[in-house]
Amino acid sequence: MVDDPKHCAKDLPEAALVPSEHLRFINRFTVARADTCISCGLCASLCPYGVHKRIEGHVKILPPDDRRCIGPSCEVNYFFCVANCPTNSLTVGPSETFASLGDPRWSSEMILATWAMSETGRPVPLDHPGNVGASGGGFDKLHFKLPELKGKVNPDQICTAIELNRRDSGTKIRIPVPFYGGGMSFGSVSAYTMLARAKAAKKWNTFTCTGEGGYPELLLPYKDHVITQIATGLFGVREETVQRTRIVEFKYAQGAKPGLGGHLLHDKNTPEVARMREAVPYTSLFSPFPFHSVYSVEDHKKHLDWAHAINPRALLSVKVSTPNDVEMVAVGSYYAGAHIVHLDGGYGGTGAAPEIAKKNIAMPIEYAIPKVHKFLMKEGIREQVTLLASGGLRTALDVAKAIALGADGVIIGTADLVALSCVRCGNCESGRGCPRGIATTDPILEKLTDADWGAERISNLYNAWRLQWCELLTRLGMTDISELRGRTDLLVHGNGQSKEAVK
Amino acid sequence: MFPGHPSTAWEVDATKYERYHIPLKLVPNRAAPAPKFAIIRADNCINCGKCEKACIYGVHKRSETDPRKMADPINSLCKNCFRCIQDCPQRALTMMVGPEYKALARGLWTSLRIFTIWNEAETGKIPVFGAGYRGPFAGPGYDGMWTDMSEIVRPTRDGIHGREYISTSVDLGSRPAWLEFGKSGELVTDMPPVIELQVPFVVDTTRLRASTDAMKIGMARAAKHVDSLLLSSPEALLNETASELNSHFVPVYGEGTDIRSIVLPRGVRMTELTLGATWKEDAKRFQSMYPHTVVGFRLNAGKDVEKRIVDLVKAKVDVAHVLFDEDGMEIETAEPRHAKDSLRAIHKALVSKSVRDQITIIAGGGIAAAEHVPKTLICGADVVALERAPVVSLECRNCFTCSIGSCPANLGDAPAEWIEDRVTNLMGAWRDQLLEVLGAMGLREVRRLRGELGRAIFFEDVERESFSDIEGGAGSG
Repeated sequence: MVDDPKHCAKDLPEAALVPSEHLRFINRFTVARADTCISCGLCASLCPYGVHKRIEGHVKILPPDDRRCIGPSCEVNYFFCVANCPTNSLTVGPSETFASLGDPRWSSEMILATWAMSETGRPVPLDHPGNVGASGGGFDKLHFKLPELKGKVNPDQICTAIELNRRDSGTKIRIPVPFYGGGMSFGSVSAYTMLARAKAAKKWNTFTCTGEGGYPELLLPYKDHVITQIATGLFGVREETVQRTRIVEFKYAQGAKPGLGGHLLHDKNTPEVARMREAVPYTSLFSPFPFHSVYSVEDHKKHLDWAHAINPRALLSVKVSTPNDVEMVAVGSYYAGAHIVHLDGGYGGTGAAPEIAKKNIAMPIEYAIPKVHKFLMKEGIREQVTLLASGGLRTALDVAKAIALGADGVIIGTADLVALSCVRCGNCESGRGCPRGIATTDPILEKLTDADWGAERISNLYNAWRLQWCELLTRLGMTDISELRGRTDLLVHGNGQSKEAVK
Repeated sequence: MFPGHPSTAWEVDATKYERYHIPLKLVPNRAAPAPKFAIIRADNCINCGKCEKACIYGVHKRSETDPRKMADPINSLCKNCFRCIQDCPQRALTMMVGPEYKALARGLWTSLRIFTIWNEAETGKIPVFGAGYRGPFAGPGYDGMWTDMSEIVRPTRDGIHGREYISTSVDLGSRPAWLEFGKSGELVTDMPPVIELQVPFVVDTTRLRASTDAMKIGMARAAKHVDSLLLSSPEALLNETASELNSHFVPVYGEGTDIRSIVLPRGVRMTELTLGATWKEDAKRFQSMYPHTVVGFRLNAGKDVEKRIVDLVKAKVDVAHVLFDEDGMEIETAEPRHAKDSLRAIHKALVSKSVRDQITIIAGGGIAAAEHVPKTLICGADVVALERAPVVSLECRNCFTCSIGSCPANLGDAPAEWIEDRVTNLMGAWRDQLLEVLGAMGLREVRRLRGELGRAIFFEDVERESFSDIEGGAGSG
């Protein structure tokens, strides 16, 4: 598609190590020292990883620093502390803390791998367990048939850029990575979190989205990289917020709570949030579903025309959920004038949603992408639509799989937050909000997230992801990520065989 | 009113109109909670108090007796945010999944489902949390299906504020396929009796392992409260409870009961008999004795259950109560199907014979979460019977020790009022979640949900549709 692939990879930001020492608190293994220990210090002199430490002059050896331990597999080594201890006081086993982190979709390995990439900007290997979740279906069951790497990966020669406007007319916008950030409103997350995402988006010349909570002034310097979302409650939507943006996103539904509108529970609606949304503080805010001005495709077109009239330069994106007839919705959106059709699958993120809606309403994105892709092909309009997928895309490999299933690119949300040190505890909805200072509007808690630090971490994650795609594409013999689109022949469905067993 | 026009009969008095509503309130737990997470403080804690500052939920507190020391963590408040572990300078804290919580799980009744029911019964609220879905991708039974939603066209619903316009009422009984009128226009069709419920679920206590009188009284009052029904064997229910329940009581007679000996309690609108060898005679005899009572037959789901239900229609039985086991599987068969397949087969058999509305299907067994109600209805049932769920709402730990007379939740001395409130809360929370699903689907009444298979997404189907061209995918060569 692009003649000069070098041009694609030009001027991309570089990764830099971000100090994140405080996030290295999870130990994979537990090293226990019994009371029978005589503090002889043999383990300290043996362990090359620094688990055991004895300070000269102290009577007792320090408690083991089990974050550094490599686990029971160390037994093959001559320096294995457990075998060498003269009083048999040491035991090494799996860590309970590690096991209580994460869930089947975002496994503890995946969270830690994301953190590692955010800290260093270096990719984890493509066969790392952190690339795949343990949910037992969808992306976690799909694997690439990957040939061995021949030669070296040269990231400068690989193009991961995508075009956001594939129609013949209108502004052309090209982003150097096949994703942008999804909508997270002010109120659901803190202003600093939004700022961190916007800074990273600017660095990477891609986008982030306001979500439905108004356009904080803090984001004005990044206005070329912030999408204005228009959702059903129209919270904080004003003429100037539509005018200043390069992409307008209409949110019809959200994957995590399709057909239920938006929720911001009363605790998080602080006076500042309420001012932005022009609402009463500390009341629960519900965006109604659906747009009451839209009951048909014609109404939908009128809606898009309205945004186009206010800002003729902006691209129009339509965010819809994944019902049975999602392909008809996608086609309708295209004919109504949308440049981007954004499918948000059922397992996507949210600041607050009824649990019953997250699993049970509308299909996971893995099913919707091929459905819509094939239908658009049949309709003969596939090359005029930018099909973006979101809702449960956690890793670079998930993104690649979504593209192989037929999407042009993706939209990510939770991965950004995990880069900001989210542990997916799921308590964003009420009280003071996020105890880790990400999805909160509490004036004290929000200070836990520093926007510059966060931007670096998110940017590092993007860098690592891009390098992962570079390796993937090189191994598949491709130079441009658009070659991957719709290549389901490169995938294998791991029914019955688990990836762990192969390893 | 226009002047000069006579007042018409259909005029509705707005002041008398009462909207159906389940009153909910906080009903605290009686037993000690089984916390989801447990934090363990090791001996090398130096009591610096950083965890107290870090935790916004109040898990870590200084000891009240000796403020120099930290008290034991209050695990039930822990929400798994790892802040204390992150901030502990001594690395003295360990987090683990609560052992009691872990031990709750048994088959379909996972720890999370039991924990969720406890919370629903305590607060009466819909569980709402942040962050996206965190469970397995799909699974057996109802976990392998999704309900549809409607994206734009929504003439039936005024968004989230329109819930109160969604009806959850259902009818129990047979409906004639057509009406016949006499020469002078009078109705000559013999109208079978019908019961209208305000919620598509009933409480069935007949298969419970153990239950006290207080449990039955509490559940009976809760059923009455929400305008539902309580199913119980008449011997197992106290006479005063039965008379208090009155028209909300459905006596259930076991197999081999002599029909002639049945004397229905006052006010009863429906009876269930158990399908046995002599069921045809039983049905006839009962209908001749009590022609104005809805009669249902209980039968175990199994091979050819659909044929037996078609036979029930022929015998003019009003209700078929299909029983599944605790995991929602068929009972009497070598190759049991899950309720979702069994009910679909029943529904389709009845539709293909054009008799679907002549019988009401109640499905019981394997209902362990709010989402199972709409899913059961979509698969073809009219009404769902709640059996284990109301017991679990009383903090039952799913441990089977009730058979030997001990209970970690002390259910034996739970007062009837508390039970009534907990079960009411559970039904209220489940009804509200049903409304969420109906709202998302753009449906205005739950009757429309029955057998609405086109509005469901089944795992096998979408795997085939979407992944058949992928090597190793469903349906691929």
